[in-house]
Amino acid sequence: MTDRLPQDGLVAVVKRDCPTCVLAAPVLGALARDTGLTVYTQDDPTFPETVPGRIDDRTLDISHRLKIEIVPTLIRFEAGREAGRTYGWDRAEWQRLTGVLGLGRDLPEARPGCGAKNVEPGVIERLKVRFNETGLKSRRIEIGADEDEQEAMYARGWSDGLPLVPPTEERVLRMLDGTSRDPQEVLGLVPPDLAPATVEKIAVNAVMAGCKPEYLPVVLAAVEAVLEEEFAMHGVLATTMFVGPVVVVNGPVRRHIGMNAKGNALGQGNRANAAIGRALQLVIRNIGGGRPQEVDRATLGNPGKYTYCFAEDEESSTWEPLSVERGQPSGQSAVTVFAGFGLQGIVDQKSRDPESLSRSFAASLRAIHSIKLAPACDALLVVCPEHHRTFRQAGWSKARLYEELYRLCDIPGEELIAGAKGIAEGGPPSLAGKTVNKFRPGGIMIVRAGGDAGMFSGIIGGWSAGGPRGSLPVTKEVKT
Amino acid sequence: MTVLLDPTSERSPTVRPRLPRPERLEGLTIGILDIAKPRGDVFLRRLGERLNERGLAVRHYAKPTNTRVAPLPLRQQIAAEVNLVIEGLSD
Amino acid sequence: MADLEARGIPTVGVATTEFIEGAVAQSKSLGIDPALVFVPHPVQDRTDDELKQLADDHLEAILALMVKG
Repeated sequence: MTDRLPQDGLVAVVKRDCPTCVLAAPVLGALARDTGLTVYTQDDPTFPETVPGRIDDRTLDISHRLKIEIVPTLIRFEAGREAGRTYGWDRAEWQRLTGVLGLGRDLPEARPGCGAKNVEPGVIERLKVRFNETGLKSRRIEIGADEDEQEAMYARGWSDGLPLVPPTEERVLRMLDGTSRDPQEVLGLVPPDLAPATVEKIAVNAVMAGCKPEYLPVVLAAVEAVLEEEFAMHGVLATTMFVGPVVVVNGPVRRHIGMNAKGNALGQGNRANAAIGRALQLVIRNIGGGRPQEVDRATLGNPGKYTYCFAEDEESSTWEPLSVERGQPSGQSAVTVFAGFGLQGIVDQKSRDPESLSRSFAASLRAIHSIKLAPACDALLVVCPEHHRTFRQAGWSKARLYEELYRLCDIPGEELIAGAKGIAEGGPPSLAGKTVNKFRPGGIMIVRAGGDAGMFSGIIGGWSAGGPRGSLPVTKEVKT
Repeated sequence: MTVLLDPTSERSPTVRPRLPRPERLEGLTIGILDIAKPRGDVFLRRLGERLNERGLAVRHYAKPTNTRVAPLPLRQQIAAEVNLVIEGLSD
Repeated sequence: MADLEARGIPTVGVATTEFIEGAVAQSKSLGIDPALVFVPHPVQDRTDDELKQLADDHLEAILALMVKG
């Protein structure tokens, strides 16, 4: 290829689908005749007709090598090196570069060029892969000619059980476009193997999970959050209990990437919800090496370990978003990770006042893990819009609701003693006469989510080692 | 040929590793699968006898024809009945 | 063999030396590293006694691929 470029002389790169290239075609013809200008065409080898010796660069190899960004581009070579270039049509510039006067007399003085084909989205990644300029550091895995891609990925243990998007170099390059962060930036060490999570490795897993590039910043924030020491990711993974990381997303990013905070927010159907949560799980599995029946000792686990990510319904809520409650500036996109499991539904279609509804909530909260255990774990209470309305209409702030719920979750020690209520589970007899709260201070978090119709809220239960000696929720800003 | 990027920490080899083997064979059942090439049965039967002499439990299986992969029910049966397999005799 | 290993059953394959190249190629294209023992080709025209002797001669090699280490 490069041997077609002149040691000394002029080169132009054009495409037919560019009015300025069409405009300049006669000038190109004259220059080709008089100075031996070589013309490369990016899209249509019959263009420009004025240059019979034009060269077909539909593969875009020359365009890529010459780092063309705009067409037409005119380049002068001297002694094998580029001596100057100009782009678009500009009589003065073309005359200066070529040394030929009187070019394009009946053309306007100047006309801007158009975007070159080789830098169109999608094309640039293909070219980088072809020229081995990706800068990607991950090991390349060649899938054998007779191997099915899906079976190959399953056989290598990369999957959570569901099919994966094959992480080709092109897909990973496109994914990395979703962030301005350096692909080799290390976000932390992923347990249990304590392997470094680079932006690139996370991007590979994000591709497999089905993420779009614009989801990557949210995935990165979630990974950063679970790798914070206070989240205790190793413990969350290794426990025999149910939990996995649950991701709540706040801020403008929810709308930008089309997350679901409304109907079926905790269920299937929304790509961003599904893929972001899944990417986090795949990072734990593939980078960290955390797998069921290995370091992950969960007895039952819970379906949320496939993916558990949703957006908070902030619009027209009178309550501050979870991230703001936890210290993020209002309007800042952020994620909160919580070691949680499942969804315990709360049905209350009759409560008309906040006191009654609070009692409903508290009675369900008291049953998490076991009615005989307190403090039991943290809880994430997801309040549906119709239930939120009840509090809103009564003028209850989030703080007021927290206060009420904590009060209602005080439990007489007698009820918690082992053997009480005919249940062997429970605490020591010394609990008699004491009052124990179901939750540690700060152990309940409240978010609003769900469709507008339906008086059904839910509790995402936590981990019995939740709290300062175990896992604490972590909130992280989403950085682009 | 497709090239994928490795999503793992790259601490294991790229080729699919073999399954880990047991420490010892005592108490395990060994399946011997005849892939139905001529004369392979004599060889395999002798292997089976020698394994029996060592006190090992052996079960013999045979593909109906060499020209196709073992039928699915046969593979499922083998997987359910034995702990390891010796498969032969290819040429 | 790949199928049985995928079902959790460690497998050892026995083949004649004629099959060595084929085994290498198939392994590469399937991305696997099978445990194989090779016996000298040919097999088809051997007597029963010769075949039994081949089995005796290669028993240890086969057993070695069935246990750890």
